[in-house]
Amino acid sequence: MKWLTPLKMGVLALGLTLTTSAAIAQEENEYRFVMVSHIGSNDPNMRWLTIAMDEFEKKYPNVSLDYVSSNQYSVQELVRLLDQTIASRPDGIAVPIVSRDALEGPIRRAIDQGIPVVAFNIPDNRSQEERIPYLTYVGGDEYLTGYMTGQYAIEKAEAGEVPMPEHVVCAMIAAEHEGLRERCRGIEEAVAEVGATTEYLFTGADPSTFRSNLRSYLSANPQSNYILNMGDFTAPWSWQVANELDMNPDVNQEGMTILAVGIGPIGLSGLKNNHLLVASEQGFWLQGYIPFEWLYWHHELGYEPQSDIITGPIMVDRDNIDKFDPLSKAVFGAGSEDDSAWQ
Amino acid sequence: MTLSTRIFARRPDFGAIIGVALLFVVFSLIDFSGWWSGRTLGNILQFTAILGCIAIGQAIVIMVKEIDLSVGSVYGLTGIAYITLEADLGIPGAMLAAMTIAGSIGFLQAMAVIKGKIPSMIVTLGGLFAARGLIYVWTGGSVRTMPADSRAHWLNQLFGGELFGIDAAILWLALLIVLLSLVVWRTKFGNRLLATGGDENTALSQGIRTDRVKTVAFVLCSLLAGFAAILTLADDPRTHVTLGDLMELEAIAAAVIGGCLLTGGRGSLLGAVLGAFIITSVRYQMISLGAPASWYITFVGLVVIAALIFNQFLARWATKQA
Repeated sequence: MKWLTPLKMGVLALGLTLTTSAAIAQEENEYRFVMVSHIGSNDPNMRWLTIAMDEFEKKYPNVSLDYVSSNQYSVQELVRLLDQTIASRPDGIAVPIVSRDALEGPIRRAIDQGIPVVAFNIPDNRSQEERIPYLTYVGGDEYLTGYMTGQYAIEKAEAGEVPMPEHVVCAMIAAEHEGLRERCRGIEEAVAEVGATTEYLFTGADPSTFRSNLRSYLSANPQSNYILNMGDFTAPWSWQVANELDMNPDVNQEGMTILAVGIGPIGLSGLKNNHLLVASEQGFWLQGYIPFEWLYWHHELGYEPQSDIITGPIMVDRDNIDKFDPLSKAVFGAGSEDDSAWQ
Repeated sequence: MTLSTRIFARRPDFGAIIGVALLFVVFSLIDFSGWWSGRTLGNILQFTAILGCIAIGQAIVIMVKEIDLSVGSVYGLTGIAYITLEADLGIPGAMLAAMTIAGSIGFLQAMAVIKGKIPSMIVTLGGLFAARGLIYVWTGGSVRTMPADSRAHWLNQLFGGELFGIDAAILWLALLIVLLSLVVWRTKFGNRLLATGGDENTALSQGIRTDRVKTVAFVLCSLLAGFAAILTLADDPRTHVTLGDLMELEAIAAAVIGGCLLTGGRGSLLGAVLGAFIITSVRYQMISLGAPASWYITFVGLVVIAALIFNQFLARWATKQA
């Protein structure tokens, strides 16, 4: 019965393997992380984030992710959503700091309760010592977004492709959004280097109100020669108003030049058809993925990032449309071929 | 004070007429060439036509002592429906379907208010969120525009083009003021409308079916918001899910500035349009004159409070004179 010994050993080995695997499986922690966002289903950029989150869940099956958002540009609404999320005791939160005054209290309360927080999309711009003690910030740099867009325009002007900025209109769709103000401050400081001025114009988000406000401003200030749009969806409205005022808004050496933050089919088709000079992209997909990587490894191994993780801006222009077209089609279902918004 | 002056001063829209006259004087003094340029007045009138259309509907609802907070979202939903359904139904079909959606929302809200005995502020607040939510669900955040041949369709041009060199929206608004003012001031329905808002119990005792009157008011209000959206998008179909964002507040403000009392029974459709003109022109000129655009919100708030006080005073004075 010599054959019984290896059989017994085999059964023992199998038993040990199964027991160990089961123990390991039991020890694998389950986590629930929540992204509390100001980017609602009214903003196509939400899809960048949710697609990235789906990818994350595929890679980490022991983590469940929730996306909660408001469809209004309302700080109060975001605070309410954050309070509800904290009450549900998640294992981690990712949240944009749209207003540090309004969000500091709830975020500190979450941290005090042992819930790690990662800021995404919009940071607390104060110094490291003063700012809300979140783990890290993952996202574009709002100031840099405006600044680099301004610098890009100056470079193109120096190359003779567009006029040199003289007066920039920063078309703010929401007056209370600190990130938008930072973008405006960025372009203001960039174009100030060539002696240009900047107006922070509160346009409202309704298309008719936007057009009416911008038309009023441009009629009274015809020296304006650049408009920075806070999303690519307002760029055709700006282009149209400037066109109606005979300000020659296409990309050429004279008249008005249109700039935008954010990229999608509208921005890509605007670039392709020469209506838009540049649109910056802030690495939205990464913003929907990296915060959760850090929250996960913070729980698993106690990792703490030593600096902010800047995902943008990435300048998109006619030269690299082909790289963004497939991404846009994957996220929005259309790319630069859809020029309906500009017609 | 002569008799004719006294009669004129008793009009509910007296304050708005004075306000518009003052506005013309002040803006002429500050910026004569800018204010009187065809471009400025043209732009102001075009936006006034849209807001005025919504404000007329709001005025009718306020006259029956109710309120409709959903008009901005109904405006948005109707507009998005018009653009989105055009591909499948064509211009006439999309227009009809969009207006049906608007009218249905008004009818459902009226039923909830009348049969459910729920305050209209709560019902229409729910309507505001529900209609806006439908826009987001329906569009997923992005709205495509209408193809060029559809824009050129005669029906679209009838509402969005120009007639005799004037924006169609302005002419449609003028027609609406005349027709609906005749309905309010010259028909039995108008009498019932004001009676229902003035004192519902008295109206009921006189055999007026106040539930029917209120239903018509709510449906009219939603239809007018929907019609304003058609006027907007027939003129320019490039839009977004933010269409109509905060328009309900401007419409209510316009109706109040125009002489509508929130206590019902008194108001003016012309006044509501003048209120819309005041709001639009103040915003336009404040930006044009270099004031930060965000100040305009504060200014509108102050004008609404001043108009409320003035109109209350006017109503009491008119009652004493009667």
